[in-house]
Amino acid sequence: MTAIYKREFFSYFRSPIGYVALALFTFLSSYWFSMYLFNRGAINLAQEIKAIRNYLILIVPIITMALFSEDKKRGTEVIYYTSPISLFNVVCGKFLAAMTLFAIMFVNIIIHMIITVNLGGIVNVGTWGSVIVYFFFAALFISIGTFASAITDSQLISAIVCFVILYVINMLTSIAGMVATGVQSLLSIFTDDPEKIRKVCDAVQNAILWLDPFSKTNDFVYGKFSIAPLVFCFSGTVVFIYLTYRVLEKKRWSQA
Amino acid sequence: MIEINNLVKCYGKNKAVKGISFTVNDGEVLGFLGPNGAGKSTTMNIITGYLSSTSGTVKVNGHDILEEPEEAKKNIGYLPELPPLFLDMTVLEYLTFMSELKKVPKQGRKEHLAKIISMVKLTDVSDRLIGNLSKGYKQRVGIAQALIGDPAIIILDEPTVGLDPQQVIEIRKLIKFLAKNHTVILSSHILSEIQAVCDRVVIINKGKVAAIDTITDLAAKLSGNSKLLVAFKGQDKAAINALKAVPGVTDARTRIVSDGITELEIVIDPKKGGDVRSSIFYTFARNNWPIMEFRSLDPTLEEVFLNITNG
Repeated sequence: MTAIYKREFFSYFRSPIGYVALALFTFLSSYWFSMYLFNRGAINLAQEIKAIRNYLILIVPIITMALFSEDKKRGTEVIYYTSPISLFNVVCGKFLAAMTLFAIMFVNIIIHMIITVNLGGIVNVGTWGSVIVYFFFAALFISIGTFASAITDSQLISAIVCFVILYVINMLTSIAGMVATGVQSLLSIFTDDPEKIRKVCDAVQNAILWLDPFSKTNDFVYGKFSIAPLVFCFSGTVVFIYLTYRVLEKKRWSQA
Repeated sequence: MIEINNLVKCYGKNKAVKGISFTVNDGEVLGFLGPNGAGKSTTMNIITGYLSSTSGTVKVNGHDILEEPEEAKKNIGYLPELPPLFLDMTVLEYLTFMSELKKVPKQGRKEHLAKIISMVKLTDVSDRLIGNLSKGYKQRVGIAQALIGDPAIIILDEPTVGLDPQQVIEIRKLIKFLAKNHTVILSSHILSEIQAVCDRVVIINKGKVAAIDTITDLAAKLSGNSKLLVAFKGQDKAAINALKAVPGVTDARTRIVSDGITELEIVIDPKKGGDVRSSIFYTFARNNWPIMEFRSLDPTLEEVFLNITNG
């Protein structure tokens, strides 16, 4: 796994991908930092990290699009299948390389923390809450991107699939509202009992919102932690890593 | 040693490999032949663990490729038709990566890589990006990665395809050199290459083993008896009578008489007289018939291949 990890991590800096992702993250985080500092006169690191979280749907596809699709396109995936290593280790090595790049990006936020402390501000518990959520989100989203990369040999398609999945996750609150409204309209044709309709709509909305990692972690910014959202993100990460492994393993049985 | 037993591979309803069985012995150089779509690459991919078989077993030095994949794969170095190269790495970086992947012990890794780099003549380009190398050098890098970890078995799929004649000669020399210490499976469409390098050939046709033997025995089986051609200065009838007295010669007939030179086709049965070529030579010498040409008329590998795959 170490060999795959090193190869994948350094490959980010042999192509423009690593630099583009770093530049994009630095620009966006610095934009939010300076906006809070100069427009509002107060630094809010927790809100800055929360805002940056929303841009993960742009940054993650860039970082993960080539993880497996490029190997398939260039025929280098044969190395993973014919070497004495397990495919699961290959998936984990690539996933960890992408996570490391994310950790390096985060250095810019640490610089902002240092500036904040030097200007007399504090790094409060809400900020640390945002940091924890950021890394759990990054892990979940990177695992989704890794999965998207394993199902195609085109970097572009991989990036689009990853972007669409992350966009849908980002929009789950709105989607839950829209679906609940739709269900309400539909049910009103069959029943006049408003209490029954409300209960069904709430159940549908809650079921969709259960999948939304964003709404689960809103309180972290205010220093209110709970373990359930983190378990949710971690479980999601494990599921997508396992699915990636299964997709690769399936190729061994089905490819022509 | 590789033992392949009743290998079957299906892609949906299409059966690409239909119960292939053969054994590759230690130290042997086995040629792998077959027309396009015969199931050759599929079989090689199953042997290397790239694909899984639908049924049947592959054992590499006693390790089943499905049940003990890591142990089995340690014994195999594989060069696919398209060498699996990371173009953004230098030759040395790539080979170091491959040695880590193949779990070559850190102690002695540098020396191991230096030996391989020198063996495949990559020393001058070891610091260059693979993407900037010529096709011949890329092929060498592909062979180098197959040699990492000193596997007992080397599988080469079309190693000389797309190379210029000079590069082809160099790669063939390298394969011959590797054959001294390794078991080699060589797949190629260039039959002269197989003939020059291999001890035995397996011919696969329509997903089945159509023939497996040494090239000489395949030719003998195809023609029934071995045939020789002799061109000499002298009378054909006298020569035919003289030849029929040689033990092992079963028949002799005139092919052409032109400008005082007679061409005879001599049919021999190797089981009766062994190698009869010296006896034939002395028969002509005793009768003072100068020999102008003397060669085998056995079918070439190309003829054997066409006969088996078309027949």
